[in-house]
Amino acid sequence: MEAPPVTMMPVTGGTINMMEYLLQGSVLDHSLESLIHRLRGLCDNMEPETFLDHEMVFLLKGQQASPFVLRARRSMDRAGAPWHLRYLGQPEMGDKNRHALVRNCVDIATSENLTDFLMEMGFRMDHEFVAKGHLFRKGIMKIMVYKVFRILVPGNTDSTEALSLSYLVELSVVAPAGQDVVSDDMKNFAEQLKPLVHLEKIDPKRLM
Amino acid sequence: MRSCYLTGVCTPSPWLFSPPFYVSYLFIWVTNLFLLVQREEKQLEASLDALLSQVADLKNSLGSFICKLENEYGRLTWPSVLDSFALLSGQLNTLNKVLKHEKTPLFRNQVIIPLVLSPDRDEDLMRQTEGRVPVFSHEVVPDHLRTKPDPEVEEQEKQLTTDAARIGADAAQKQIQSLNKMCSNLLEKISKEERESESGGLRPNKQTFNPTDTNALVAAVAFGKGLSNWRPSGSSGPGQPGQPGAGTILAGTSGLQQVQMAGAPSQQQPMLSGVQMAQAGQPGKMPSGIKTNIKSASMHPYQRPSCPVFILAIPLRCKVKKLLGQEEKKNARLQL
Repeated sequence: MEAPPVTMMPVTGGTINMMEYLLQGSVLDHSLESLIHRLRGLCDNMEPETFLDHEMVFLLKGQQASPFVLRARRSMDRAGAPWHLRYLGQPEMGDKNRHALVRNCVDIATSENLTDFLMEMGFRMDHEFVAKGHLFRKGIMKIMVYKVFRILVPGNTDSTEALSLSYLVELSVVAPAGQDVVSDDMKNFAEQLKPLVHLEKIDPKRLM
Repeated sequence: MRSCYLTGVCTPSPWLFSPPFYVSYLFIWVTNLFLLVQREEKQLEASLDALLSQVADLKNSLGSFICKLENEYGRLTWPSVLDSFALLSGQLNTLNKVLKHEKTPLFRNQVIIPLVLSPDRDEDLMRQTEGRVPVFSHEVVPDHLRTKPDPEVEEQEKQLTTDAARIGADAAQKQIQSLNKMCSNLLEKISKEERESESGGLRPNKQTFNPTDTNALVAAVAFGKGLSNWRPSGSSGPGQPGQPGAGTILAGTSGLQQVQMAGAPSQQQPMLSGVQMAQAGQPGKMPSGIKTNIKSASMHPYQRPSCPVFILAIPLRCKVKKLLGQEEKKNARLQL
């Protein structure tokens, strides 16, 4: 007895169910340059884009078992850029033919008083980190190569330390539900990055 | 046609074969044919243009590859040669695609006949072929307008086809299978050899990623493993990504993780921003101190005096509750 997967749920409320297809991998620091060069060749021709973001993850603990998670992200190097609020659902597992991790995704841009708003709503911040890296794009695919920094003093984004000696590489596509052909394209692209990086679908529940 | 409804028989009326009607029929048919021919000609021209541009590209890349081989012989590296080959193979592929495209007419149906052969220089021809063919004469034509292979090659091909036909389908299938098996054996041997030589340390710098790091980073981004701010300062150093939770479990106050009752003292750490404890993982084992923390942290913010932000938040809160309810229902059903 299983809930129907989100890809089959009807469109309600006037919005389309957007799904995020995700493949992840990592690359060691000393191989970062070769990866960046390869990505610059493979991806769309644009100026290399770097980003420095501060992400905070908020939880709302209801009476039910699992808390509701919202991710708030702000840019630390682009003044005036809006904050970004994102909801990511549980990844849909079970389909072995689908090469990418698929989960429901809702994204919106917000103003700067997002944290106050969430606190008033009853959310509490669970953890935060700083992400610094590069962004590439190929068609609808977005490739991010970034390093995760742990924040030592909560609220102070200047005192950070790197979490590991690797960069996280994420290949993601946000597309309407039901388009599984997207995952084939992602797999083909991931093949081109081997053997530098092995992009694969990693189930976060396995790592808990 | 005058059809007889009563008998169900259609008999062409004599009026239909009268001369004016017949002529108009003929006229329509001829115009249609003409239009068809025109359209085919246009298609032919278009496909010839496409083919010409593809072949020109191929020629250029072949030329540059030859230049590279001749001039940079000393400094040439294998990846660079592979790149050139990849480029050529890609262009051949696109050429094939252009040929197979549904809009290209069958070139097989077209015939090129030389109308005039002369031993004089032809400037036009020189220009079009970029100086390669100066004269359209008797020696040039057999090579350039050839449609069949050389007689010797043709003989060999015929020989091969008769041999193949003589063997018979079963024996041919067996031979194919044995060839495939030998190829796969060879491939396995090569990969085994490669792996063994790698482990022998011949290529020490080849490791470009670390799977433990991958897992640690994914866990950090997905649910904050290793990002907890309340870890005692000495417990795990910055460069140790792959400890599968030994350091984090001790600190254990991250809201999404299952609380392991490893070190009791560390769990009494004050919660700086009221992080809720992990869910119904091990409810019976939670010590009472943490329970009271949950109670205090779950006090509704609605009890506070009204503030403008929260007034706007009421409809959104309902929507969030609905979403939460939906997610819970989904989770509950998935767990069944």
